[in-house]
Amino acid sequence: MTRDARPLHVALLALNSPGYQSLALGYLRAYAQADDRLKGRAAFTTLDLTIDVDPWWVAWRVLGMEPEVLGISVTCWNARAVFEVCRIVAEVRPETVIVLGGPEVGPIAEDVLRERPAVHAVVRGEGERTFADLLHAFASGGKAWRVDGVTARKLDEIVSAPDRGLIENLDAIPSPYLAGVMSPVEGGAYLETYRGCPHRCGYCFEGKGYGRIRSFSRERIAAEIAAVAGAPQVSTFSFIDPVFNLTAERLAWFADALEPHAAAGIRLHTIEVDIEKIDDTAAHLLKRAGVASVETGPQTIGEAALTACRRSFDAQKFADGVAACRRAGISVECDLIVGLPGDDAHSFLAGLRFVLGLDPGIVQSSTLHVLPGTDLWMRAPELGLSFDPEPPHEIIATPDVGYRDLRRAEVLAASVQAAYRARV
Amino acid sequence: MLVFERVAIGTGHGIRCTRCHPDRDVPEYRSAADVLGDVQAAVVGWVGGPGPNVTLTGPEPFSHPELPAIVAGAIEAGVRRLRLEADGGAFAKAGNADGALGAGVRHVQVTLLGGTEGVHDALAGGPGAFDAATSGMAAFGDAARVADLDAIVTVLVPVCRHNAVDLPATVGAAVRAGAASVLLRVEDGGIDLDAATPWITAACDTGVVNGVWVEVEGVPFCLLPAYDLHLASTIRSTAGAKPASVCATCALDPVCAGGPGGASAETMSSFAPPVGAERLAEAVSRSRGGAE
Repeated sequence: MTRDARPLHVALLALNSPGYQSLALGYLRAYAQADDRLKGRAAFTTLDLTIDVDPWWVAWRVLGMEPEVLGISVTCWNARAVFEVCRIVAEVRPETVIVLGGPEVGPIAEDVLRERPAVHAVVRGEGERTFADLLHAFASGGKAWRVDGVTARKLDEIVSAPDRGLIENLDAIPSPYLAGVMSPVEGGAYLETYRGCPHRCGYCFEGKGYGRIRSFSRERIAAEIAAVAGAPQVSTFSFIDPVFNLTAERLAWFADALEPHAAAGIRLHTIEVDIEKIDDTAAHLLKRAGVASVETGPQTIGEAALTACRRSFDAQKFADGVAACRRAGISVECDLIVGLPGDDAHSFLAGLRFVLGLDPGIVQSSTLHVLPGTDLWMRAPELGLSFDPEPPHEIIATPDVGYRDLRRAEVLAASVQAAYRARV
Repeated sequence: MLVFERVAIGTGHGIRCTRCHPDRDVPEYRSAADVLGDVQAAVVGWVGGPGPNVTLTGPEPFSHPELPAIVAGAIEAGVRRLRLEADGGAFAKAGNADGALGAGVRHVQVTLLGGTEGVHDALAGGPGAFDAATSGMAAFGDAARVADLDAIVTVLVPVCRHNAVDLPATVGAAVRAGAASVLLRVEDGGIDLDAATPWITAACDTGVVNGVWVEVEGVPFCLLPAYDLHLASTIRSTAGAKPASVCATCALDPVCAGGPGGASAETMSSFAPPVGAERLAEAVSRSRGGAE
């Protein structure tokens, strides 16, 4: 790509669930805008749209902006729509460079480029630094395939540059809220306080291969909390951290930091917790922090499935944790997954019965998605998992449960959940 | 999985097949105080998991002169899930659905005998019953959505020799009217179960492909191979259910509710343990967690 003096016009696109906005795009933009190399050389527009918008109208919006670079955040949920948008944009405006990133494409970057000719490059792994470097390469006539963390086309080849190391100091990424790139919206504002996950569940990409936990500084977190909680029209927000109660000390700090906002009426919903670590003291801290509802597993209680997914589960500790939250007036959402390897339909039902017996508040089941980059994705042939290669990669059958019983279990679980929810 | 304690509001029955039951019963309603006494006892002695949950059974509840007092009293007594067994028609009348929801009714079970007005009305014994039931179901669902309340309508289909062939259409009608689940209860001891089985399985499939669960009661596991989940006791309880003694020679006995009540010894003795009975019994027992 050769450049004249005009700034590179970069459009960032996300297709979110209705009511949400993309924190990933906020990070990318905040980081790139703060990059001295790109000052005056790149101009950004963010299109935070929803997954229910027809891809043809998404393309209409994108093409109306005439971007030179289109960066799209891809998850298993929006991938089909994103790929359709890419096809249309590439057909109408082939000079637009399309760059994808996110958990759906990063782990299978070369496959994506091979199968999607409209896509020019894929950012692998943590995107902020890589995307900024890539834009710098575009703006200065460099080669995308030379940028660490990028997989891109080199004439007829697909070339993956070396992996990029993790950002050691997360505070180097400007807060999208504090930088004014994102505005908190009611119920749709999310904060991230660390990256990585203490667990290694086989079906999950929550840790994104980061391997270890890196935290934003407490000063940064406190500033973000103040910005979001103090925003007009915001009475609830949430955290995307895989485990909110990572340590007792950290939880106590959050209780102190959030308590003034809780006293002003701010509530936190659907905070993900390790329920087996919650006792009355921890539940009290959550309550002080304004937590109204938490989300947790067990995902499965079947021993074979727990082993296959590298999870642990202590029924008594789990039940005690739910009871502690309930005593504190905190609603608990217990999640189960249909179709995990090692589970048959009846062991899934046993899990459903177990969580219902705890009367947690909400019971939610979902179907296994064999996501790129996860342990189950890599071990699928060994485990005999049959799943849709197209996103969202829903499980089709396993050696333990066939296609028809999987679909039955989904419908049955939905019926039970609806009956459970219907109460005064 | 969710247990409902049954409390009769009177003697007599709701809607049922008039060919199987040609004698119309004259309902007699219990006083609100009597009904609420039973409700209170159910609440105090509740050990059934999430609850207390109570189903008001017997004759049509909307004909009970003290229904509002019973509903209000049940909620005040601590019932979390109150279910009315009704013919459904009352909900189509202005104010009834809103009133029931406002008072705390969150579950309604409507009886359908057929999937069309031709079948349902003929078996129910009068014209207009099908339209009233399905429009009442839809009205209750609409009212819940407008009020932003979680409430569900389920459908009970008493299966007999007169409506077995119509089961897939009946489930289809339940789906269209907004049912969250359907219970096929085979209660005709003289039904030819072998002949009815294809209709039962087709009805189960009709529900699943439309996202509505269909549960089957009164058919042993051996007659529904590969449909065991539909017999697996999900939102109903099989506590106390015993298979007829004549077929109690099967590994599934501890988990199987057997055939329909009143089935002849000859019918029951024709049942044979299915292939893999031990394994299936173990799986079903696991899903029930030994709770029943």
